[in-house]
Amino acid sequence: MCGIVGFLRKSGADHQPLGEVLLAMLQSLACRGPDSAGVALYGIPQPHRLVAQVKLGDNGNHSQRARDIETIALKFGAQDLSQKGSYLRFTFGENGDLRPLISAIESVSGNVEVVSVGRRLEILKQVGSPSRLEQSFGISGFRGEHGIGHTRLSTESAVDLSHSQPFWGHGYPDLAIVHNGHITNYHQLRRRYQERGVRFYTENDSEIVAIYLAEKLTQGLRLRAALESMVDELDGSFSCLVATETALGFVKDAFSFKPLLYTETASFVAVATEEIAMRGAFPGDYIVREAQAKEVQVWQRSTQPGAVLAKSTLRSES
Amino acid sequence: MLNPAARHNLAVAILHGVHIRIAGSAGYYCGGLGDGASIEIEGSAGWGLAESMLSGTVVVHGNAGSGAAAALRNGSVIVHGDAAARLGVSMKGGEVIVAGNCGYMAGFMAQKGTLIVCGDAGDAFADSMYATVCYVGGKIASLGTDAVLSALDPAEIERLEASLSAHLPPAVRRSKPAAADFKKVIAGRKLWNFDKREWRTWQEAL
Repeated sequence: MCGIVGFLRKSGADHQPLGEVLLAMLQSLACRGPDSAGVALYGIPQPHRLVAQVKLGDNGNHSQRARDIETIALKFGAQDLSQKGSYLRFTFGENGDLRPLISAIESVSGNVEVVSVGRRLEILKQVGSPSRLEQSFGISGFRGEHGIGHTRLSTESAVDLSHSQPFWGHGYPDLAIVHNGHITNYHQLRRRYQERGVRFYTENDSEIVAIYLAEKLTQGLRLRAALESMVDELDGSFSCLVATETALGFVKDAFSFKPLLYTETASFVAVATEEIAMRGAFPGDYIVREAQAKEVQVWQRSTQPGAVLAKSTLRSES
Repeated sequence: MLNPAARHNLAVAILHGVHIRIAGSAGYYCGGLGDGASIEIEGSAGWGLAESMLSGTVVVHGNAGSGAAAALRNGSVIVHGDAAARLGVSMKGGEVIVAGNCGYMAGFMAQKGTLIVCGDAGDAFADSMYATVCYVGGKIASLGTDAVLSALDPAEIERLEASLSAHLPPAVRRSKPAAADFKKVIAGRKLWNFDKREWRTWQEAL
């Protein structure tokens, strides 16, 4: 099971509600996965600054750990520090290599993980059903133009915050994925990545999708080409939604094992595991269709913060 | 039924000759296990549309999800838009018409009945079939195992045209290929390994 959703508003206005849209879509799919839920929200960027979300731990009081990480983050120029539940959030200057900051923060404890870094991206996830996202983080107030979400039914790995989705493409700013299915050559791929020194944070097969795409985009592939290569190189069942700072896309496996539907109107693009997620969130008359086997779609947005898109600048690359 | 917002299991196992109109989209298994009802969906339909339907008619004005008309026993399933993967798999009778395209592995192990796709068909079309007869108006991405092309005879073209004209709105029918231009796909029978002594039993079972 599991349910995934994605949304991209075509108006180009960052100051429109985003969190409440994704929450409404996810809540319609809550019966597909009550174990954990999360969202990757793409918000309003600050010039030349990145925003980080750091998981402090899975349970208990993390105030001392938060102070330790704040001390480290401040050495890297962190500002706007705030703690909400198990997360510490801060912004820092865009200086290229993220690894020294990430290594320093994650050295505090094995339970600490930098969950996301990006100009726009903020990943928030937790154990429990989608409704808890609102209780824990008040995500309905988050504004932005695009995002993705996931509600999980665990089938093969632990139920905790780190194993929840979305997954960040560690080290690649603004890349997030959600996945419904099973990657059956996961262990083979994982071994090959580990031989090259790639760190895995979980035993969830979906994490390999984020690592795979981060590698492909780092190598210079465009998102569409990276998604197309997934069809050849990843085995098993996958309906995956992917978001970057400037795009929303999906890929479906060669056998069309898992559902994934999408609609594109004059004002928005929505993608979800079931149509019920769209009809609940977007009243009105629009056509929904199921993605076919091997289908890849990518929709681009403007890279200019707050820019209003001409219709022709937002396109399906199919 | 007004705007059910793609909820699942609508109009399942209706055993009477009633007409049900769904103004909006339906979720999974709409019309499944029915016996005699006429169901019209103005929007889209999710997975398992009319699955194992015994008799009756299901018409979808929009698109259909995976597994539409799977294990269909009899009756008609008409989709004005596209159908996703595994259309008509293991169907055992009846008639399926898709005005648009169909996805991966349509007709897999279909045993009897007629499967008509006016647009393009996806990969592995008509794989491992028994006695279902398929017609495709557009391109076939690839034929499945043991699926072969066959010529249409004049009587067959006439029947195909009659069926399309009867079930599709005139404007939709006019936009599709002429019946004579459809490709016919049947089983090549290379996978039919059962003993011929069982032939009559098998035919009767179908």
